[in-house]
Formats: sequence, C-alpha cells, structure tokens
Amino acid sequence: MVSTVQRFSVDIATAKSEIERLSASSVAVALVTEGSQPYALVRRVEAPSPPWDRTAYDILIAIPIAFDLGTPLDGFYLGLPYTFQEGEHNRVNGQVVKLANSEWKAVSWHYPDGKQFRLGVDNIESHIVHCRGFFLERGAVNARI
Amino acid sequence: MQEFNLRIPGRDWDLLRKSCARSFRGRRDTENGAIGLLGKRMVGGRHRELLVAQIIWPEAGEVMAPPRRGLTFSSRYIRRAHLMVRKAGLAGLVTFHTHPLAKVEVDFSPYDDEQDPYLIENLQELWPGTLLSSVVLGETSQRGRLWTSPMEQLALTTLVSVGDRLQYLPLDGRPPEPAPDPSEIFDRAKALTGKGALAQLAKKTVAVVGASGTGSLVCELLARAGCKRILLIDHDVIKPINLNRILYATSEDAKHRRPKAEVLKRGIESLGLGCEVVSIVGTILDDAVLQRLNEADIVFGCVDKDYPRILLCKYAYQHFVPYIDIGAEIGGDNEGIVSTDARTNYVATGRWCLRCTGLVDPRRLALESMTGPERKRKIALGYSDDLLIKQPAVMDLNMRAASAGVMLLRHLFQPFLLEPLPVTLAENLVTYNMKAIASARARNEACNICRLNPYAGFGDCGEPVGLTSKVATALLEEDTGELS
Repeated sequence: MVSTVQRFSVDIATAKSEIERLSASSVAVALVTEGSQPYALVRRVEAPSPPWDRTAYDILIAIPIAFDLGTPLDGFYLGLPYTFQEGEHNRVNGQVVKLANSEWKAVSWHYPDGKQFRLGVDNIESHIVHCRGFFLERGAVNARI
Repeated sequence: MQEFNLRIPGRDWDLLRKSCARSFRGRRDTENGAIGLLGKRMVGGRHRELLVAQIIWPEAGEVMAPPRRGLTFSSRYIRRAHLMVRKAGLAGLVTFHTHPLAKVEVDFSPYDDEQDPYLIENLQELWPGTLLSSVVLGETSQRGRLWTSPMEQLALTTLVSVGDRLQYLPLDGRPPEPAPDPSEIFDRAKALTGKGALAQLAKKTVAVVGASGTGSLVCELLARAGCKRILLIDHDVIKPINLNRILYATSEDAKHRRPKAEVLKRGIESLGLGCEVVSIVGTILDDAVLQRLNEADIVFGCVDKDYPRILLCKYAYQHFVPYIDIGAEIGGDNEGIVSTDARTNYVATGRWCLRCTGLVDPRRLALESMTGPERKRKIALGYSDDLLIKQPAVMDLNMRAASAGVMLLRHLFQPFLLEPLPVTLAENLVTYNMKAIASARARNEACNICRLNPYAGFGDCGEPVGLTSKVATALLEEDTGELS
C-alpha cells in the first residue's frame, strides 16, 4: 500500500526535508512507502532513446530508515516495462517490487570501488545523479560487459 | 529515599567548579554563578532526573556580584537563557551560584528562599510549565532543589557528573560521606575497587540490552557484583541453538519458546543475591521499549546488530547516560583465525560514539534499517555478502568481553584503570594482546550523534530516540537471522 509519509521516525527527517527541497526546486521526487519502507520516487529521469525505448524513466530509491544516522544509498529500481537495445539490460537483474500502481525491478547499479557514497557529502540529489549514469554512457558500457 | 538526580557532562561540571573557584580563595568573598538549560528524564509521568543540557555562560554585565553581597543574574541573562529553553522545547532553567563562606556545608540563604519563588513565577508567566532548579555551591559541597511552582519545591539528591569518570556528589549541602561497608557477601570485592564502587552498585539500576550469550554473562556478573536492579531487555525467545550459551536456559525453555529475558530473570533471582531483575520482552528499536531505559543509571549493550547499537548511542548522548557496549569478533583469512577480539567500548557525553570509532559499519546499518522484504532484495543483488558474517557465539570469548565490561563499570564508580580510558579496549587471544585503541578511526567532528547532536542532554524534551512500534516491528519481520 502506498501512502504519503507523515512520520516514520526522526531518523529520516533529513531525507524528508531534502526531498521537500528537491521537489520545490522542480525535481520531480516524492517520498513514498511500501509497508514501513520509505523510497524516493523520482519521475522522468532522462535517457537517450535509442538505445532506451523512452526518453525518460521513473526510478525508485530505497531510503534506509537509519538514513540520518549515517547510511549510504545504493542502487535503485527501474519502472517496468523498459527495453534497452530492443532487449534487456544485464544490470536490471534484481527482484520486482509493486509500488505506486507500477512494477519496479532492482538495478545492480553500485558505486565503483574508490568512489563510494560519501557520508556527510553525498545525498539523495547526488545519488539521483549517480543513478542517471546508468542510462548514459557508463550504463551502456556496463551493458556490453 | 527516592533519588532525584541532576546529570551534567563531566567537562561542564569541571568548568563550572573552576569558574566558581575564585569564590573560595579567601581574599574576596565574591559570589559567582551561571545559568544552565534543563532537559529531563521522566518515568511514569514523573520527573526522575534533570539534565544540564548546556551551560549558558554570562556575558559582560550579566552577573552582578558586589563583594559581600548577594549575586544577581541580570534580567537580560535570564531572558536570553529562557528564550533558548522555549525555542528548543526544553524543560527549564538551572541556576548555579556560590556561597563563598560555605567551607564545608552549604545551604540556601533566606535571600535565595525569597528570590527563587519570584523567578519561577515570572518564568511560568512567560512559559507555563517551566521548571526552575537552583544549585548552591560551597567549597566542598553543594545543595540543589527544583521548583515546579512558586509554592512547590523538591529536593535534588545527587549530582551525577558523566564523562571519562562517573561522579556521584550529594546535593544535600554536605560533603560526600564515606561509602558504607558492603554486605558481607560482597566484601571481598573491596580488594579491587574499595567499597565505593560496591556502594554505588548496590543503589543502581543497570539496563542490559540483549539477553543472549554475552547479556546473560553480564547479568550474572552484575548480580554477583552486588547490583541492586537489572532492567533486562530482549525481544527473542529461547531456541535449541541458544542452549549452549544462555545461562539458566534449559531444553524445556526452548521447547516452550520462553522469552530469553524471563528465563534469565528466573535464573538470576534464584541466586538469592538480592538483585531484582525486571524483564522487558520487546525490541530496543521500539521507542516505547527504549523509553524504559529512563529507569536505568547505566546501560550495557550486548547486541550483535548495528542499528540497536547506534540507537543506544543516541540515547546515551541525549540522556547523558553512560553506555558500555561489549561484543566479540573472530577475524580470519584463508590461513585460518587471525584474531579473537573480546571488545569493550565506553560511550558517554564527551567521548566518541560507535560510528566514529568505526565499530558501526554504515553499509551494515543501511541494510539493517530496511524492512525485511527490501533487505532480502538488496541481499539478492549480491553486494552485501561481506556484511552477512555471523557473530561468534563462543562462550569462552563472550566471557572475556563481559568480564572486561563489568570491570570497566567498577572503574567508572571507583577508578583503578589507567586514564584516559581508551576508545576501544580489545583483547586478542590469538596474539596474547590487550589492545587499548586510543583514537576513533572514523572520527567525524560534525557527527550528529556524539559531537553536534542537536538533542544532547535534552532527555525526553528531544525527539524520540527509537522508532514507532510499527516500523520497529517491520524491521524485525522476516528477519531470517542472516544478519544476526
């Protein structure tokens, strides 16, 4: 069941305020939940078409409930359906979750060694930028590996 | 008599005493003082303790103290402090001032008795419910009280200074009395710490979070050290795999899946050492359970997950309660075992939290703080394999950690270890080494838990430390034990 977040705990207060700030600055992002698990739902992340079948995708980013206590973000979910080069992308290889009347598949899109999510420096906004890389050249290179 | 304490960070108490020392130099009997902001700890809707969240040092002209006359805090100073209280949602103000002629005992003067009711009346007019505590300092003694209204005052019993050491100073206006002799059954422990530590243990409630292998050993040691009351928290039940490591657990307990906390309570109380055990069956992630820590003077963490550890750290800084975290780790490589660490960490205001010491792994914390289904999906992606190491459950090793933890507690009551205390104390039996790790390897001067915690000393005036019951339950649901 999807609901707009009222109050989880204080431990995602930073995530909540950052999402409010981002949405006020025209980034289409909202905080949604599945059960008690919060996610940042990011609408219309741009993608080059081709090789992607669309010019923009929605993505979901799982927010750890202890986010304010210093946890990194990692990976994301891609809204289904999609096609990449008229087939599948080998990184879209995780489990499927149903949320916000859609299906989402986990993408194995991690930070490279030596360029990890930096606590206290990186945030949801920078993670969205990291996720966007999946749709661009780096993602295309990874698809060929 | 029921204790009603005033907790203060050790560094603030030292600074306050230092700044007031000139009142007692004998040449000029000038009064001195400062105002502090008050947090509070509540139990059952009643005040249990007050916390000096912050001392607001006076600016020039804010304290008037003519020689041989009473001290006056300017209205600007009081207003400034009271505004901070209101803005932060704190409980009230505490005033400290000296009586220079009080060389041994100290008491409030008739002037204090006349002025305090006026002050509380004014403060409550501006902000109903404001509390006013006042502490008068003699050269070797102090006396404290709390005004809840102009008509009602309560005596404070003890000032607890928390930091590298724990100091318990009477607030009855008299210098500390020598500790009483322990009962005969405990008196051989005097050889280690003298009777002071025993006297404190005999009055204290110690919370033990986690009633498995290490937790059961800690409870046993506390009871045998003369601890008055143990608050034992664990959500789990006895299973057959626990029988080799939880004291007093029997196959019958496993068959009936009895709660670990209740089984241990039964065992410890059967010793007949006078130690009361209060068992709480619930997860410490749940704020309703975590709030029960308000009954405790000291907290032991005997858990093997990072999320409870970090919440206990948050609690320790928000409530100025000492927290001793203990655990055991076995390290290995392709060649075999390279380390067996029995580890103890002391966390308290002014010291580093477990995140800064590097004991809490941010990636592991992230994984633990996801609901069961999300955690499973993350694990299925295969990037969390290194986090899925099972914690050792070897009693021999757990015993070393539990022993060091309780010894550290004795030291805090009556010092006998070399100081300053290390950040981490770890014994590696493979290399016959006791490591005293002095630096916090992941230190962060902007840490929102131990350095710039916005709710440090707020106690119950701050945001809830734990999670809602619903979220806490969701984190435990479908917990397959992969992370335990």
